[in-house]
Amino acid sequence: MWSLQSTFLRLLAGLLTVVGVTGLLFVLRGRLDTPSIALVYVLAVGASTAWLGLLAGLAAAFAAFMLFNFLFIAPFYTLRILQPEAVIDLVVLLVVAVVISQLLGRAQAGMARAQAQEDATLRLYDLSTALIGETGFSGIARTLARSAVGAFRASAVRVTLRDGAMAVLADALEPEGAPAPDRAPRDIQKVLIGRGGSGEIQIWAEQPKPTEGEARLLRAFASEAALALERAQLAQAETRARVLEQSDALKSALLSSVSHELRSPLATILASVTGLASPEIEWDSAARMDLLTTIEEEADALNFLVGNLLDMSRIESGSLAPQRRSNALGEIVSAAVFRMRRALTGHPVHVEIPAELPPADVDYFQIEQVFANLMSNSAKYSPGGSGIRIVAEAADDLWLRVQVENQSPPIAEEQLQQIFDKFHRIYPDERITGTGLGLSICKGIVEAHGGKIWAANLRHGVVFHFTLPRAASLPAAAEEP
Amino acid sequence: MTSGPRVLVIDDEPQILRALRTILTAKHFVVTTASRGEEGLALAAAQPPDLVILDLSLPDLDGTEVCSRLREWTNVPILVLSVRERERDKVAALDRGADDYLTKPFGIEELLARVRVALRHAAQAQGERRRVVRAGEVTIDLGERRVTRGDEEVRLTAKEHRLLAFLAAHPGRVLTHRAILSAVWGPEDADHVEYLRVYIRQLRLKIEADPDRPQYILTEPGVGYRIILDG
Repeated sequence: MWSLQSTFLRLLAGLLTVVGVTGLLFVLRGRLDTPSIALVYVLAVGASTAWLGLLAGLAAAFAAFMLFNFLFIAPFYTLRILQPEAVIDLVVLLVVAVVISQLLGRAQAGMARAQAQEDATLRLYDLSTALIGETGFSGIARTLARSAVGAFRASAVRVTLRDGAMAVLADALEPEGAPAPDRAPRDIQKVLIGRGGSGEIQIWAEQPKPTEGEARLLRAFASEAALALERAQLAQAETRARVLEQSDALKSALLSSVSHELRSPLATILASVTGLASPEIEWDSAARMDLLTTIEEEADALNFLVGNLLDMSRIESGSLAPQRRSNALGEIVSAAVFRMRRALTGHPVHVEIPAELPPADVDYFQIEQVFANLMSNSAKYSPGGSGIRIVAEAADDLWLRVQVENQSPPIAEEQLQQIFDKFHRIYPDERITGTGLGLSICKGIVEAHGGKIWAANLRHGVVFHFTLPRAASLPAAAEEP
Repeated sequence: MTSGPRVLVIDDEPQILRALRTILTAKHFVVTTASRGEEGLALAAAQPPDLVILDLSLPDLDGTEVCSRLREWTNVPILVLSVRERERDKVAALDRGADDYLTKPFGIEELLARVRVALRHAAQAQGERRRVVRAGEVTIDLGERRVTRGDEEVRLTAKEHRLLAFLAAHPGRVLTHRAILSAVWGPEDADHVEYLRVYIRQLRLKIEADPDRPQYILTEPGVGYRIILDG
């Protein structure tokens, strides 16, 4: 089926149809009687109306009547009508044209309505699909505004969302970046949100009034938006609950590990002290010395733990701020080995740090804590009697690379990263005690120095690598190994 | 005195082992130590101790598991020492056969007192089962089902008597709510702690001098009760 856009062309086409049909009829006029000719004209008028619209149909009807009258009704070649039936012919032609165009118009309007409805449904569907992915308020506002521009042929759309206290949660204007129109919006649609809060869709458009379909679609947009907002609120509440739950779980993990780690040395200290103070017991000097040594060692252990806890809280609050100076790594390692000598009983430490190793630009105490933690971990997880090897070398002009190797059982590949997470412990039961803080503190300290730390499995053991910045004061070339 | 009671200490912290060994040795106990559960069980089997002091956090077995495995063949008193202070941890250990529970950290006097009570009651249990037990001015004749306080006879209901008799049969031991309820009321009532509270209150009114500050029937908060009898 073809279509012609402009009214003039349609009229012309209607007239041409009738003229063409007339030509054909004129050729055949000897063989056709008048009623048949009239029927053919009815057909032409009907077809013109159906294809070209009411105006073309009416024009065709008049033209047909004139030509019919002029050519086929006696007296021929005049427009005079002798018989009154001819008037009936004209009326029939006109009525046919009007009736057909009415019927067709109604069908077309119905179709247009259906089309509009389908269009609205599609827009709504697109909107709800787009909104499903949005869990943030600003995302919802933006999506809503963007969809509304298309759906309402709007020049601008503004979506404002407020919470229960009327504070603005999100404000989106489409087209993005354009200034808000200074005239009043054509439509304002409220969005009511179930769990408190409200929203507003403002629409500016060229058309002075929205069609009925548009008004309906706007209300549907508002309820779709309300649903999306409610979903977003629920999702946020759920996220908040989950975050709280996680931080609760972390807190109780910290509490349980810290209480175990603090109480174990405290138990020994308290038992020893109350034992020494007890009038029930007579102490010989060796036993007394033994208990005093135990107390000293446990006090050391407590001090180490408290140092880790402090570091952890500094890392958490972002106040770790290393006091970086030029330091010889060898000295730091010796200090750490000395401090941890009791925990390292039965684990000989082999330090391979060349004397000519360039100095590191690090915080002495923090890096000592890194070595202490890595060695304490190594001693805890590797078999008694196995050694710990510490190697350091210049990686390039800017960095030193340090390795701490032990002979502990291999760490599952997927755990190699996680072991640096706070409270992450490979053996979550209490078989090997610990706070799960040591490695995460190492990571925090090394990263505060700009370095990286990672772990890898060896054939018989595990190695921790980390990088530390070289002190810049010395010429770089001289220290290359 | 060179051959005092034999104590086996099972704990994975070398420092507390060392301190307990020193202190208990000074108190003339013969001390053996183990840092792992299996090692402790083997030592207990090789040289049956008079008392086991047991930590719950061990590298190989859980302490409660050690309790049950010991209970398969011995009634040796088990005193649990642990940093775990939640009631359900205590109940779990006691239900698996531990006699008493002390949370770390603890004062040594407290530990020694608990050790003494445990050893005394173990000695009583090993001797002939006594028909008549005493707690201060209260005398409980388990055979005759008669309880007297001073010269007066205390009238107990049948249920009260069964409860008192059950407690008196396990002097010094912490008995969990479940254990008492199962034995006196029956397993189907094992969760009805409220019954137990009511009956304990009635017993205290009848035999304690000051029911609000009991001397004999002691509460282990959230865990259960224990009765203290005269040695």
